[in-house]
Amino acid sequence: MARQNAYGIGKAAALALAAGWVSIACPLAQEAEAPGAAPPLSPPCDVPGQDIAAPATLPNLASALQKGEKARILAIGSSSTLGNGASSASMSYPSQLETILEHALKGADIVIVNRGVPGEIAETTAERIRNEVALRKPDLVLWQLGTNDALARIPLPEFEDTVRSTIRWLKENQIDVVLVGVQYTTRLVRDANYLAIRESLQKIAAEEKILYVRRYDAMRFIAQRRANLQLLAGDNFHLNDLGYHCMAEHVAHALIVSLFAKRAKPAQN
Amino acid sequence: MRAPNEIDFWRGFALVTIFVNHIPGLYFERFTFRNVSLSDSAELFVFLAGWAMRKLVDGPAGALPAKWLILRLESRAFQIYTAQLVVTELAIAMLAAAAFYLDAPFLLDWHNASAVFNSPVEAHIGLVLLSHQLGYFNILPLYVVLIFIGPAVALLHRAKAPLLLAVSVLVYAAALVFGLNLPTWPVEGSWFFNPLAWQIIFVLGFLLAGEDGPGRFVRRHSLPLRWLALPVAVLGAAVGMTNFSPDPLFVPEPKLFFTFSKTFLSPARLVHCLALAMLFAGSFKMIAYWTPRPSGYLCLLGRNSLVVFCVLSLLSLCGQIFRYVYGESIVTDALIVILGILLLGMAAWLAEWRDRMRMELAKQPLSL
Repeated sequence: MARQNAYGIGKAAALALAAGWVSIACPLAQEAEAPGAAPPLSPPCDVPGQDIAAPATLPNLASALQKGEKARILAIGSSSTLGNGASSASMSYPSQLETILEHALKGADIVIVNRGVPGEIAETTAERIRNEVALRKPDLVLWQLGTNDALARIPLPEFEDTVRSTIRWLKENQIDVVLVGVQYTTRLVRDANYLAIRESLQKIAAEEKILYVRRYDAMRFIAQRRANLQLLAGDNFHLNDLGYHCMAEHVAHALIVSLFAKRAKPAQN
Repeated sequence: MRAPNEIDFWRGFALVTIFVNHIPGLYFERFTFRNVSLSDSAELFVFLAGWAMRKLVDGPAGALPAKWLILRLESRAFQIYTAQLVVTELAIAMLAAAAFYLDAPFLLDWHNASAVFNSPVEAHIGLVLLSHQLGYFNILPLYVVLIFIGPAVALLHRAKAPLLLAVSVLVYAAALVFGLNLPTWPVEGSWFFNPLAWQIIFVLGFLLAGEDGPGRFVRRHSLPLRWLALPVAVLGAAVGMTNFSPDPLFVPEPKLFFTFSKTFLSPARLVHCLALAMLFAGSFKMIAYWTPRPSGYLCLLGRNSLVVFCVLSLLSLCGQIFRYVYGESIVTDALIVILGILLLGMAAWLAEWRDRMRMELAKQPLSL
């Protein structure tokens, strides 16, 4: 169920999205007629498609949906996955994403498990991913990462090695993976490690041909164009309810565009 | 204080390794043995905990009636539990202070600490119940559970020794078959070190330390067992170096038996740790002969493992904060390691000095 948030956009936005996406979602069963059409985003979260993600294939998620099976999504990462800064757990991005996807993909049975652990670096999350995969066998892993590795000053080659090996391992196990990048915050725009990690994630996603949600670019666009909109909580670091709503919309947008891209070109992140 | 011995030496070795491994990204982390090993210092530490408990139960506590043995072990469990609470609280305060003075609120997130600041009511209940654990501060909760069940292990062994291994294997197998683990709360998830699985290595340490049963079997057949252990250790080294991990899709059910899960201590990790123990058992005499001072230092750390573990947990967090502020460099990383190991030694020395003073004071006549 869509939930109303402090900005009054929860249900309304979800329904608006649903209305827009149903037209895209229906062809899934009827062999996509308008593949790749961008679903409308709610006004506060609206950003150009290229600031969200370049489409990439999601064969395992698409297969589960086409067969009418339960689509299992593992949302794993740190505080942005758990929902630090949100007014309630139901406002975390995985919770909102599940609502949005189920509205958009009518009839689809989607279950998103939230396994966010605040402050966790990629190496530890990678260990948890292997356990969760062995226990749950998800169709898709949404891996939000980068910020804590940047702050812990993890050497870039070490970070890249961890991320790459985990992506390849997931691919070998026929599990789709989406990287959800770092957030935009003025606190860290001059942090060299932070920017290096952001670029590294883009590079890895492009080379591994997987979907990469450019959270930094999308949030920066909103911050620059709609300065009166506040996506961050009082600490100017974690997202607030609106921030999480936009994050959920952007991830949903990226997933749906990728699902309906008839022959998705390799990601050009 | 007891003379340098093999258990204290390897425990000291595990403690130094844990200290280095708990500062992610540290340059010298690449030289720790987990890079050439499937199992790591956590397995070694828990195995030695079981071993040490057997030495206690067969030695000083051997003649104790059941109720006094229970009291003895439960008081140790309570001591470790309070150490966990104090160390966790200090870590939280360190993160809060760093976040405050560095104007870096994101440090409040580190190691899953944020629930303490965002949901203090639930998080404090979770901290006391051990269902809320900070990352890198999650070995002691496992240790608490293992020492807490220690009396059951010791008394079951006293009453019917063969049953102990059977029960332990059964619990371990059930955890792996059904994916059983203790839940975490308020942050939804499960324990990083699953006690239902990790008890097996504790119990094996306990059994192998004995002069009877499995311990006697291993000592009698040590040569062929070492030959068997050698290829296992080599394979484990290859896995450690290549980061190989089996694909769950291609292994049969129950998958946790065939993956390399650390949380569930998959059999491959367990067997590898036992193989390393088999290969290196008895090597202490030679190591101590060639490197008397470093060996003595590691024994000093191992003799005071709880104090040293608490201090290393806090020092590793200091190291992480330092690296956040000053960035990564080999020189500062070397400083962190050297200073850290020296401070661990100082903490161990202080603990022994305090004990010595207490004993000497106890001999003195009471005077005002």
